[in-house]
Amino acid sequence: MALTGRAGLLAALAAIVVLLAPEPGLVVPVAALVLAALVAADLLLAGRVRGLRFHRDGEQRVRLGQSATIGLTVDNPGPRRVRGVLRDAWHPSAGAAPRRAALDVPPRERRRLVTTLTPTRRGDRESVAVTVRSFGPLGLAARQRTFHVPWTVRVLPPFLSRRHLPARLARLRELDGRHPALVRGQGTEFDSLREYVAGDDVRSIDWRASARRSDVVVRTWRPERDRRVLIVLDTGRTSAGRVGVAPLPGSGPSGWPRLDWSMDAALLLAALAARAGDRVDFLAYDRAVRAQVSGASRTEVLSSLVNVMAPIEAELVEADAAGMVAAVLSRARRRCLVVLLTDLNAAAMREGLLPELPSLSSRHMVLVAAVADPRVADMAAGRGTAEAVYDAAAAERLRGERREITAVLRRHGVEVVDALPEDVAPALADAYLALKAAGRL
Amino acid sequence: MTAMTSARARQAAWVALPVVLVLLAAALPMLLSGGPSGGRALDPGDTTLRGTAALARLLEARGIEVVRVETPGAAVAAAGPGTLLLVTEASFLNRDGAHRIAEAPGDRLLAGFVPHLDVLAPGVHGQPRARTRSRAPECALREAVLAGNAFTGGMSLTGPRGATGCYPAGGGHTLVRYTADGHTVTVLGDASFLTNLRLAEDGNAALALNLAGARTKLVWLAAPDDPAEAGGGSDEQARSLGDLIPAGVKWAAVQLAIAVAVAALWRGRRLGPVVAERLPVAVRAAETVEGRGRLYRSRRARDRAALALRTAAADRLAPRLGLPRTATPEEVAVAAAARTGRDPGPVLTLLCGPPPGDDTALVALAAHLDTLERQVRDS
Repeated sequence: MALTGRAGLLAALAAIVVLLAPEPGLVVPVAALVLAALVAADLLLAGRVRGLRFHRDGEQRVRLGQSATIGLTVDNPGPRRVRGVLRDAWHPSAGAAPRRAALDVPPRERRRLVTTLTPTRRGDRESVAVTVRSFGPLGLAARQRTFHVPWTVRVLPPFLSRRHLPARLARLRELDGRHPALVRGQGTEFDSLREYVAGDDVRSIDWRASARRSDVVVRTWRPERDRRVLIVLDTGRTSAGRVGVAPLPGSGPSGWPRLDWSMDAALLLAALAARAGDRVDFLAYDRAVRAQVSGASRTEVLSSLVNVMAPIEAELVEADAAGMVAAVLSRARRRCLVVLLTDLNAAAMREGLLPELPSLSSRHMVLVAAVADPRVADMAAGRGTAEAVYDAAAAERLRGERREITAVLRRHGVEVVDALPEDVAPALADAYLALKAAGRL
Repeated sequence: MTAMTSARARQAAWVALPVVLVLLAAALPMLLSGGPSGGRALDPGDTTLRGTAALARLLEARGIEVVRVETPGAAVAAAGPGTLLLVTEASFLNRDGAHRIAEAPGDRLLAGFVPHLDVLAPGVHGQPRARTRSRAPECALREAVLAGNAFTGGMSLTGPRGATGCYPAGGGHTLVRYTADGHTVTVLGDASFLTNLRLAEDGNAALALNLAGARTKLVWLAAPDDPAEAGGGSDEQARSLGDLIPAGVKWAAVQLAIAVAVAALWRGRRLGPVVAERLPVAVRAAETVEGRGRLYRSRRARDRAALALRTAAADRLAPRLGLPRTATPEEVAVAAAARTGRDPGPVLTLLCGPPPGDDTALVALAAHLDTLERQVRDS
């Protein structure tokens, strides 16, 4: 049950009547009784909400930054019209609109209401409650009831770096020798022999084969295929720090977490590797496996990747590097490219990953990608005042530690990509293409 | 945005409405009662049009002692067997006071609307229906016949058996005189002919002087300045402010409290539960670096700050000068001096000298390192 503003207004107007009435002591209880009677009558005549039935339809997945529409059908089996308001309550970050909608369902009919969700962050967004308030004919009181009509919308990572994909695919085709320009494939894997056509690089003529046949034959090359790429996402405490400027509105003023930038880079790499014919597996790890994708087909890998990535949040625990290496080794039996998306935090690296690195880098090609903080670069450039110079010294010290750890990693034969948030996805893709071109996979 | 603003405005209007209603309720009695009255009506000391000071002066000029009293107690004390008690404005009189006046010795003259008429003039009944206008006496009463036409009206009175009635109006008379228990009681339906405004009209003055000047001493019971100290039998009981507020206002306040309670119930009922969400932490990655910068600043750690700046500069210079990453700062300084053609001494001091002595020197060191890097880059 709920009262309305009209009931309050009526009670206030009764005060004027009381003021002017000859027997005010009598009018007050009478007015209260009349009001109570009107409220009771209104409640009795209001449409029944208890028997309402609900049905949902609509999208179950939406990319962050886009909107999803969810339909809610209200079925009124009762004999009276249900007229009032309905609130379809979602988590605040689901960005549901409208917050409350007018409802008018005649008896034994149904009406469909539409809620538009514009989520402001990744993850699963659930409908928490549907509350219906049905007003009586006088509009003094209403029946109210809250229902649970479950629906979950998975908000996927936006994959903003897909704009870099066409350029990287063109580069891949170039490697493959399928580029429109007549260049010899730069791959390292022998593909086939074919007849020489004018314009082919003479260096690629296979003289032995040409001698066997009466024709000039050239070798064609292609990059290695069917290699394995294992993307490992560190979801420990270092991935929670926010850097850069959030590329989508609603994520707050302090930028995106490193985790989200890393996911963006991982998605670009996965899309590229899948097109290049490599198998992509995925592992998210801090002290336990948070999510994984293994053995997905090339066409499905991207969709299953965004699907498992969506609910991952950074855990405020120190990542267990030994466990992570063990998990990687147990999954990657054959030699593969292990792309570790983490932060080049000197203390965490020295105590965590570095002691475990030899066992990993001896069997696999390891590539470490980290998101640098543009704020640190800004601080390092600070001059003029003592405060700015002290900040610059602190920033330079951090950058020095990062350079040092990068050098140590490179000595272990590990490739390192350390780039600013907006550049990390293309930089990682380029590093992958360079490895592929060099045949180091 | 506009929807939200209009919703806010609506909400504000709902809040303002009860306030306006309360103010209206408070202002209503004031508006209905009109402005402050000019002067005290029918008071022998009042010289405005509503007062009766002219009549009092005339009576005194005729050698009649006019005693103005405000309370029944004073009236009884002043009254004697040869006095006339004139009661004009007596709305403040309570029943107890009326009894005490009725027991006072001497004659009584009641003019206008006087409450407790059944006590003050037993047997006289009146209906307030007669219009006040100039009327002819049409009776044998000497005072009335001598005065002739007078401005009377107000109540239409009927007296007890043996009473004399003059100035007929409606079913009765507007002046009734009778004698009981040795008192001569005269009742007039309206007292406006006594006022300064009407005294000069018709035979008003004559009628007033004839009636009020019948004895040598006139005790005039007028409305007191402060009604609280009058009233009659309970003079000593002062009334509190609460007694003066009409009962309707108190009950209206109760009703408004009920309205506020209803409004609270209306606003207090949420449309469904509060939705809580577990949000990820929002911690800026640069916070540790900023914290370290503040720490340097607060401890004035110029040695560490200078070392960090010098190491960073040397690390950036080494590859440009063709040196390995492992080169010492001294090697970098010598190579940089050679490349730029500067004196090796200051460059060596710049890259591996003692820590700066104060903050100004630290700022200068940072600027000099920048200059050196630029020179190497441009050389």
